[in-house]
Amino acid sequence: MALKLMKGCEAIAEAAIQAGCRYFFGYPITPQNDIPEYMSLRLPQVGGCFLQAESELAAINMVYGAAGAGARVMTSSSSPGISLKQEGISTCCAAELPCVIVNMMRGGPGLGNIQASQGDYFQATKGGGHGDYHTIVIAPSSIQETVNMMGKAFDLAEEYRIPVMILADGLIGQMMEPVDMPNNPNPTMHDKPWAATGYKPGGAKQRAIINSLYIETEDLDTLEERLQNRYAVIRGKEVMVETYNTEGAEYILCAYGTVARVCKAAVRLCAEQGVKVGLVRPITLWPFPTKEVHDAIAQDSVKAALTVEVSAGQMYEDVRLAVNGCKEVAFMGKAGSMIPAAEDIAERILKMRRA
Amino acid sequence: MREYWVMVGAFGSGKSELALNMAVRAAADGPCTLVDLDVINPYFRTSERGDVLDKAGVELIAPPYALHKIEIMSLSPRVYAAFTPGEGTVFFDVGGDHVGAVALGQYKPNFSGIPAEKLHVLFVVNPLRPLAADLPSARAMLDKIQGVSRLRVTGIVNNANLAGQTSAEHLVQGYELVRALSEETGIPVWGTCGCPEVLEAFEEYAAAHDLDERYIGKKYPIEVMMHRSWEKFLKEGL
Repeated sequence: MALKLMKGCEAIAEAAIQAGCRYFFGYPITPQNDIPEYMSLRLPQVGGCFLQAESELAAINMVYGAAGAGARVMTSSSSPGISLKQEGISTCCAAELPCVIVNMMRGGPGLGNIQASQGDYFQATKGGGHGDYHTIVIAPSSIQETVNMMGKAFDLAEEYRIPVMILADGLIGQMMEPVDMPNNPNPTMHDKPWAATGYKPGGAKQRAIINSLYIETEDLDTLEERLQNRYAVIRGKEVMVETYNTEGAEYILCAYGTVARVCKAAVRLCAEQGVKVGLVRPITLWPFPTKEVHDAIAQDSVKAALTVEVSAGQMYEDVRLAVNGCKEVAFMGKAGSMIPAAEDIAERILKMRRA
Repeated sequence: MREYWVMVGAFGSGKSELALNMAVRAAADGPCTLVDLDVINPYFRTSERGDVLDKAGVELIAPPYALHKIEIMSLSPRVYAAFTPGEGTVFFDVGGDHVGAVALGQYKPNFSGIPAEKLHVLFVVNPLRPLAADLPSARAMLDKIQGVSRLRVTGIVNNANLAGQTSAEHLVQGYELVRALSEETGIPVWGTCGCPEVLEAFEEYAAAHDLDERYIGKKYPIEVMMHRSWEKFLKEGL
């Protein structure tokens, strides 16, 4: 195992290349600029194409084009830039195009700040753009996990013909950690008979059309039925979740991304005080691990749960829906990039226990 | 006459860590100024360690945007104060890659007035960073930095590290690279950096394997001030 000291953004870009991504279209925004910077250097070395678009809208529509032609393609941005891409993401979903979109979340709303945040949970998991669609949303909690997820993200995208979003925060993008990078010169690509790669009249291949406009009500209904059936399969098969120390716990923490990593330290601090606390960490935010979150919190031993986020409480809603009133679920967190300390989370649990 | 140290190198090679260590130690012996000349990265800058520098008595010249978390990169006119006659030591912590070294170019007339023996330009190398492991990458980076900074590198620094997971083996890897780079360019190796225990293990290895002292240079122990391990981050934040 040859470790490298990599910044999260660099690691994401290299992992995408190792996963066979050869096309990147993007527009700069902090704190994810190191992704396009790295791609601009590396993609030409592997016969790929990096292009800095004139805007986020242009970038996501270039993604649409490349994905329509069957390429492994990716874009990345940070919160305000992801907002700009929403129309394109909705269109990719309607046209059933596989692609990977990285959102290195920063503080919002508006231009916000350039520090880490988790304020885009609603946008990522509930839509963001218009229409009845979903994207698969993966929320890694370390650089290594992000690296390990990149191949999976492209595979899921192609298997289900769906955009996959990597929802990370600025901390994951900017910090450096030793990383074990896979070396995969020949990644397996899915067959894409639907891709628009050229049509020869009289040839064996049907004309491929990439489209998101269905004027006839029945046609749009057919598309929606296909999409919703597919989402049901994804919900059934593709949930990823980590449970940590949950069995027989007195309190359950629920968090994702960087915050979940802080929560693990809080679990250990509580253990030192003789209080058994567990953590349930959704890795896919959509599909949300409803059953796993419910089962962890509904245990007889559990007195209450605490959702921790760097937001005003977004995933909190999904946790409460999962628990469906069977246990108390409290919230801890602040919008605006204030990352809670492990001590504060432990203190909150101990306070809940004293109450 | 002041003595000048300029840290250049690839992005993430450890320039700020070395600059902080050298500045804090130099401040014990006399007046010391640290110029934060990073125009690349709004995060993880020497300016963020203002408290450490204050305590050590290091004067910090930082761009007005640093610590304000905004992205309009501009340089403080106070940088020119670092070139005025005086005593002590001045350190320049420069942004990564040739893109960061561009910021040095405009001070060419000021650097030109410094006698060669008072101006040290250190090229910091960490082969465990991506795209920096081999001689061609290191050589290309060195050439580009010299071009845009309009300065000659006077010493190479072996700063091979994997943050908290560094071992002597990594410094050996760095040794091989700085040796090759030094042989090719004729630029001497200034030193080898590492946490004391890693450095000690490397010294033992070097003695046992007859590594050439010329390519080890000064053994410079580093106290980690800049990089926050996850554990340290949990306790102290960024």
